Amino acid sequence: MLNSLKALRVSLGTMMRKKVTAEYPKEHLPIQDRYMGFPALLWDDARDEPFCTGCMVCVRYCPTQCMSAEMMDNEKFVEGDSHRKKIIDTFEINLGRCILCGICVDVCNFDAIEMSHEHERSDRGRDANRVDLGELLVMGTKFQKDTGWKQSKPNLPSPKERSVIAEAKAAKEAAEAAANPASEVPPETTAT
Amino acid sequence: MNEFNWTYVGVAALGIFGLFSFLATVVLSLTWYERKMLARIQMRVGPSRVGPHGLLQPIADVFKLVTKEDIRPTNSSGILFWSAPLIVFVSAFLVWLTVPFADGLIVAPQELGLLYIVAIATVGIVGLLLAGYTSSSKYSVLGGMRAAAQLVSYEIPIIVVVLAIAVLVQSLDLRDVILGNEVTIGERVISFDGQGAIPFAFIMPLGLVVFILAGLAELGRTPFDIHHAESEVVGGPFLEYSGAHWAVFFLAEYINTFMIAALTVLLFFGGWSWPSPPESVFGAALDEWQTDALGVGWFLFKTYMVVGLFFWFRGTYPRLRIDQLMAFGWKSLIPLSFVNLILIAIVMFYDWPLWVMTAFSVPILVGGLYFGARRTARRADPSTVQMYRRASREDGGNKLVPEGTRD
Repeated sequence: MLNSLKALRVSLGTMMRKKVTAEYPKEHLPIQDRYMGFPALLWDDARDEPFCTGCMVCVRYCPTQCMSAEMMDNEKFVEGDSHRKKIIDTFEINLGRCILCGICVDVCNFDAIEMSHEHERSDRGRDANRVDLGELLVMGTKFQKDTGWKQSKPNLPSPKERSVIAEAKAAKEAAEAAANPASEVPPETTAT
Repeated sequence: MNEFNWTYVGVAALGIFGLFSFLATVVLSLTWYERKMLARIQMRVGPSRVGPHGLLQPIADVFKLVTKEDIRPTNSSGILFWSAPLIVFVSAFLVWLTVPFADGLIVAPQELGLLYIVAIATVGIVGLLLAGYTSSSKYSVLGGMRAAAQLVSYEIPIIVVVLAIAVLVQSLDLRDVILGNEVTIGERVISFDGQGAIPFAFIMPLGLVVFILAGLAELGRTPFDIHHAESEVVGGPFLEYSGAHWAVFFLAEYINTFMIAALTVLLFFGGWSWPSPPESVFGAALDEWQTDALGVGWFLFKTYMVVGLFFWFRGTYPRLRIDQLMAFGWKSLIPLSFVNLILIAIVMFYDWPLWVMTAFSVPILVGGLYFGARRTARRADPSTVQMYRRASREDGGNKLVPEGTRD
């Protein structure tokens, strides 16, 4: 009998406790950084262009073939602002087919694609939930901002940077030569 | 009322209509109340989508139930199958005719109100049994039989406790329970003033606890809900019903729940009478309708509290086994109710002060419930277990289904 009264006290206690339900559309629980939502393309702030070069690796590895991509020549490379010779032209993911497996992220060589936090995309049509390059980049930049994303390896230098580096190197060598003229002379010439 | 009088018929019809509307509203509110309360016990939110705080959810439920297809099993026996929910509902509804909401606010005043209530409430058992028997389903038959066994068993403690109240008040009129009564036994005049007096819960706590426990069993609410135990007999007598007829069953169920709560309040907590007269609380003389409104409000408040207690039990306790249920009823509650009756009879006969009753009741209540609970929690009697095993082995329980309706 005492146990019955104890049981009543326990249920009264749980009645006083805070509810665990989050009423979803009104109330959003915080998403963990590791959460894997739909894939999205990331934005290279240093170069002011996408990371993606359109190399098609993710498209070929995708088990559901939900992606398609086309590359184009990168104008910024011609101008010398970027190290990417090729850049993504069009990219489309059919999120209705995507199974969120993350293989595209694993195979990408350029840090270009990530599983973002986007998970609230659904549509009535089987073919209605397609996202193009612009939307993918919006999703990706939001993900970068939310999680403080960092790229895994630094960018290669662009042509302009490369010439700057080369000039600096040449200037440095010239300065060194001026400071130490003896070493400037090749050993063969001194021998003759 | 000897002559036929159209005015009387009109007033009665109006009263019955008002009562029905009131009860329908109460049932709607109770379903919401129960779901919210259970949700809170389980740290959930409960209905929250339809209307503010899910208040319109019961209406949506009613709409859903009424528009659902009403199915009758092919082998069930037509008119009996359809009449079962009607019997259950009518008996649940008729009981309310004699329940006073306030002084004079009563549809059909009866001097033998208590007798009428316990008599009419029993009719519902027939409906449950009929529902189980005519559904041509093993689970329904088992559920109906269980319902009959359980309800018949637990009628007894309820009736005996009501009898004890009648002995205390010296009247079978529910209004006298609240307002007090004056009777003459032999040469002595016993005056009992209920208004403003201490509630009977303090005079007979034993009776109160027995009444609530037996009432829970009478309603088939957890922990005594073995007759529609979902895990054992799927839905009991209601199994084969759907749509509107199922809704009628549950209308009756909730009306009965409210009935037991209202009876608890009327018999043990002073009904509509305030702890002190409302005039003294509000400091001004009140009109009659104001007093009545306050009384009805107070009565409903207390009733909802008791119903909340039932829901609290439902969120707390698991279900008893059938042999435990029977043992608890016959070996604990019925003896305790009789002890209560005999005690109050002795106290009234020798005209002892009423606190003597309280002083005797409390230790008996604690001891009785302690040993009763211990005995109930024991393992099942081996002979009972064997009986059930044998019954289920022979013909797979088919014997319980009436001849000609087997599939």
